[in-house]
Amino acid sequence: MSQPLLEFRDVSVHYRARAADTTAEEIHAVRGVSLSLAAGEKLGLAGESGCGKSTLAMSVLRLLPKSARLEGEILLDGEDISTMSWGRLRAVRWAAGSVVFQGAMNALNPVHRIGDQIAEPIRLHGSLGSSPSTSAVDRRVAELLEQVELPVERARAYPHELSGGQKQRVMIAMALACEPKLIIADEPTTALDVVVQAQVLDLMTRLVEERGIGLVMISHDLAVLASTCERLAVMYQGELVEQGESAAVIARPEHAHTKALAAAFPTVGDPVYRYAPATSSPLGLPEAPSTSDDEPAEPLLRTEDLRVTFGGTHAVAGVDLSVAPGEIVALVGQSGSGKTTLARAVLGLQRPTSGSVYFEGERVPRSASGLKAYRRQVQLVLQDPTSALNPRHSVYEAVAEGLRIHKVPGDEREHVAAALEAAELRPADRYMSVLPHELSGGQRQRVVIAGALALEPRLLVADEPVASLDASVRGEILALLLRLRARLGLAALVITHDLGLAWNIADRVAVMFRGELVEVGAVDSVLRSPSHSYTQSLLDALPSASVLGR
Amino acid sequence: MTTNQSPRNSPRAVAWTRRRAALGKVWREFAANKSGLFGLAALVVIVLVAVTVPLWLDREVLSVTRATGEILAPPAGDFWLGTDHAGRSVLALTLWGARISLLVGISAAILSVAIGTIVGMLSAHFRGWTAAVLMRVTDFFLVLPALVLAIVLSTMLERGVGTIILAIGVTSWPSTARLVRAQTLTIETRPYIERAHALGGGHMHVLSKHVLPAVLPLVLANTTLAVGSAIISESTLAFLGLGDASTVSWGGMLKSALDTGAVTAGAWWYLLPPGFAIVLIVLAFTLCGRALETVLNPNLRER
Repeated sequence: MSQPLLEFRDVSVHYRARAADTTAEEIHAVRGVSLSLAAGEKLGLAGESGCGKSTLAMSVLRLLPKSARLEGEILLDGEDISTMSWGRLRAVRWAAGSVVFQGAMNALNPVHRIGDQIAEPIRLHGSLGSSPSTSAVDRRVAELLEQVELPVERARAYPHELSGGQKQRVMIAMALACEPKLIIADEPTTALDVVVQAQVLDLMTRLVEERGIGLVMISHDLAVLASTCERLAVMYQGELVEQGESAAVIARPEHAHTKALAAAFPTVGDPVYRYAPATSSPLGLPEAPSTSDDEPAEPLLRTEDLRVTFGGTHAVAGVDLSVAPGEIVALVGQSGSGKTTLARAVLGLQRPTSGSVYFEGERVPRSASGLKAYRRQVQLVLQDPTSALNPRHSVYEAVAEGLRIHKVPGDEREHVAAALEAAELRPADRYMSVLPHELSGGQRQRVVIAGALALEPRLLVADEPVASLDASVRGEILALLLRLRARLGLAALVITHDLGLAWNIADRVAVMFRGELVEVGAVDSVLRSPSHSYTQSLLDALPSASVLGR
Repeated sequence: MTTNQSPRNSPRAVAWTRRRAALGKVWREFAANKSGLFGLAALVVIVLVAVTVPLWLDREVLSVTRATGEILAPPAGDFWLGTDHAGRSVLALTLWGARISLLVGISAAILSVAIGTIVGMLSAHFRGWTAAVLMRVTDFFLVLPALVLAIVLSTMLERGVGTIILAIGVTSWPSTARLVRAQTLTIETRPYIERAHALGGGHMHVLSKHVLPAVLPLVLANTTLAVGSAIISESTLAFLGLGDASTVSWGGMLKSALDTGAVTAGAWWYLLPPGFAIVLIVLAFTLCGRALETVLNPNLRER
């Protein structure tokens, strides 16, 4: 084999902790990683947040912050990055290797037209001669836009005029602008929903293959990586724990962490994952939940022709949805389908334009005092636990907040301890005085759940409860929801864009499209044999690692 | 997880320990700011003098009829800063004048910041017509020349310290209201406010438990700055003859210096001490306030 395009030789990266800390501690972000990538090869780099995968990738173009210290050698096309002069490094950046950054919404400058932003690297690197004419640059930009399947007129658009998927395409066009040999894509599809994700992945794979560009793709989602890359490398706590052919890694993961990652993204339709989110401990469900199809006489929550209109747009356009006692219903849809608005209307946080919500057969009032009583019964779990907790309030205060609002009788401390216990934060005493920033993401989400449980509600409305959590924590939180249902008879309306989640825990699934429910039914039947074309397209868009694995 | 040696530590005690720790951190950052520290030192001295002056300087020295010195005598042995038109010691007048300046400055600033905070929080929290009305009232006060309004108020109302405080307080709150409103709007977009609503919390709960603690640091820094400008307003009003004639204040001293021809007589010792006193105290409050602002205002800290 000829010389590899990119080679890591025993690379380690240390971060100096901030000076505010009294002890000058060093954080070992990457520990002795050796990897190589041949020209035109596609490598997937997987791992949880904080495992060092982004640090490793950014070190290729020396894009690390000043506090980072690099050891070992990184050879890009045979040249050692760490010994390059500043001028040489500038030339190499973008011309030899470019980056598709995470979160296209923030990586584009909001005050420049996208055509100018794509043209920026072309002008800087003089790939069309030292001072290319405007028309030559424009031609090149148009060519690039065409390649990423965007209409050429969009060059005059500003980033805010584009959708998330279009912005990501612009980012890809920028990465291709100087015809690099290597592209590093850092979580290129994380913020996109399934359908768009599939399109963007498709496009990127095709462009890279056509040009023989080497691709390093970073993601926490093994399925995404497996569907695009030939080889996979899994990182855990800064170390490379496993690498090999994608299919082999997925089918026969050797390291425990790889297994956890692989299991966290269930295969929809595979009965193994039904009511079985990936956990490290036994699920501990008392019995297999009965999946009776007969509707109970009295649903716990029912909406009737619920409509919410903002200006001229119908966010929720006549929804009839019901949740039975002890039932978990998944509300699935793309971003912008109105599912969050529906949840807020159910909770009384958003006043519906028309229609009504019934709880235990009674119409939910719209007055403030009437809603207060209703809110003891129905509780909300938000997407991002970090921002859902007041950073100034300790865990105790966060959990006791609802108790104080409703002036719940009895010993407050006992209630809080019981709620923390129910959310499996044990021992409860240890967590009470802790501030949210001292906890991990999963623990924070448990605190939010405990705060909801303290009021002993009948129904939890969870808006993307695991979307901002790591793969291994995800399963634990989902398992907690299942256990709460089994122990307390707690019903849940889970809003998600993730069909795998629905397959993991839900009894019924409601598919939402443009403000309307297009399909409602038992999970097994809807996800196995969808009747609506939209459900089918959602299922088709799922990255299927299993196809490769079998 | 440092403060849980005993499991029965009451949550209140835990909260207080944390607040003490936070306060210590603020102090350490404040102490790193040299100009802020200088302002604080000057303030401590001024406040100590103002509070203790009756203990070591008899009120008698302010009496026009029992004045002991010559009229408009330059600084000399007995009278370090000379005497005024009635033969009183300018030093004694300046020291006693600090009391009224501080009293009016601090009370007026607290009054104005209190009004501003309440109006700002309410106009950000309640959307719709409440906010519209409150903001229009704020705008009205913002465009009104504050000094003219204060003059009108203090001529119409009964003369006295209370009137001056009221006149300054009700004219200087709009900028605080704007600041607090902006901060409240930022806080209210946080998901934990939504969570508090979903838990069943009403307006009072959200405002007192989540919004107020978050805007309080900003308000504190703002108050310190507002004291400086309130002291200037007080001096201005007193200089224009709208103050209480029976009390000694720096603005009042400047006015009587002008009225009695001290300026034409070249009696600089009558003019400079109150003038420098005003400059010093306003500078001290401003330095302190700016330093507090950089420590407490999250937007400024990034820079």
